[in-house]
Amino acid sequence: MSLDWHGALDAVIHHPLFGIGITLGAYQLVLAAYDKTRWIFLQPVLVSMLVVIGVLVTCGVSYAEYRKSTEIMNILLGPATVALAVPLYLNLRRIRQLLWPTLTTLVIGGLVATCACLLLGWWFGAEHMILMTMAPKSVTSPIAMLVAEQIGGVAALAAVFVLITGVIGAIFGPALLSACGVSSPEARGMALGISAHAVGTAVALEESEETGAFAALGMSLMGVVTAVFLPLAVSLVA
Amino acid sequence: MLLRGLTWLVLFQLLGTAINHLFLSMLPGPIIGLVLLLAYLMLRGEVSAPLSEAASSLLRYLPLLLVPPAVGVMVYAADIAADFWAIVGSLVLSVLIALAFCGVLMQKMIARQARREEKP
Repeated sequence: MSLDWHGALDAVIHHPLFGIGITLGAYQLVLAAYDKTRWIFLQPVLVSMLVVIGVLVTCGVSYAEYRKSTEIMNILLGPATVALAVPLYLNLRRIRQLLWPTLTTLVIGGLVATCACLLLGWWFGAEHMILMTMAPKSVTSPIAMLVAEQIGGVAALAAVFVLITGVIGAIFGPALLSACGVSSPEARGMALGISAHAVGTAVALEESEETGAFAALGMSLMGVVTAVFLPLAVSLVA
Repeated sequence: MLLRGLTWLVLFQLLGTAINHLFLSMLPGPIIGLVLLLAYLMLRGEVSAPLSEAASSLLRYLPLLLVPPAVGVMVYAADIAADFWAIVGSLVLSVLIALAFCGVLMQKMIARQARREEKP
């Protein structure tokens, strides 16, 4: 009697749970590796994505099939985005005394972050779709993905651009800020949060509690302001 | 507890979807939901226990939820390759510019406010 190994393998690969299985597995593996090494390039989302792509390509599963089997995770992304309002609210209560410096930095700094990227991209000759995907790169991934899709970019690429931005900001940010003579913890935190979102906030938390708090504040404010005004601005210009 | 908070989040997202459909087609539904929830929290002045539990549980797994959409890059490999240096160049330069600019600006603003408070 010969066992149908090939058929069994096929049944496993094309089972609706296969996509969720490899996603959960890859994520936990990378998370464990990150906890052990604390290596900043081991961003869980970025590396899990590479592992999952590797498995899909090896097994010959198309993205469309994977996407369908992980539909439930995509549905949960909506309420998770809404839930971002809770940390933002808690952070907002902290800024009473520094209200004006924070708001000014947010508006001008946010504009500079977004416009610098668009201008540079345009100058380097990137096409429209890529530009629209890069525009929200300074904000946290779920928001960036929604905004990119809304203004004519691609959600998947936005997630990756956001991560690259965060990793670069986190690696060079602290040294660059010191070189520019920025020493106040509030200013360092805001700069890291506005330009390098969650990854920057993690680095800011390692500097001090105060820096981390302002980074979290900068990140969530930048997220909401970009989410609301970037689509409006694009719909006015276009 | 968790379920009650989750129900609130879903309700706000659905409300956002309805508003997106009716009036604000340029803002995504979950974003409108986020802004509505923020306004609601500001009006109430506190975060209820079920809501805070649901929000922190969901947000703890946010990176995991982001993996499937990110895997979509495999479809866009050609687009990335075509604009590779433009993408890397503008991402790296713009984050460095933004960092330095925000840091210096915020520090100047804090110093100015401190001076003003000393004066009167």
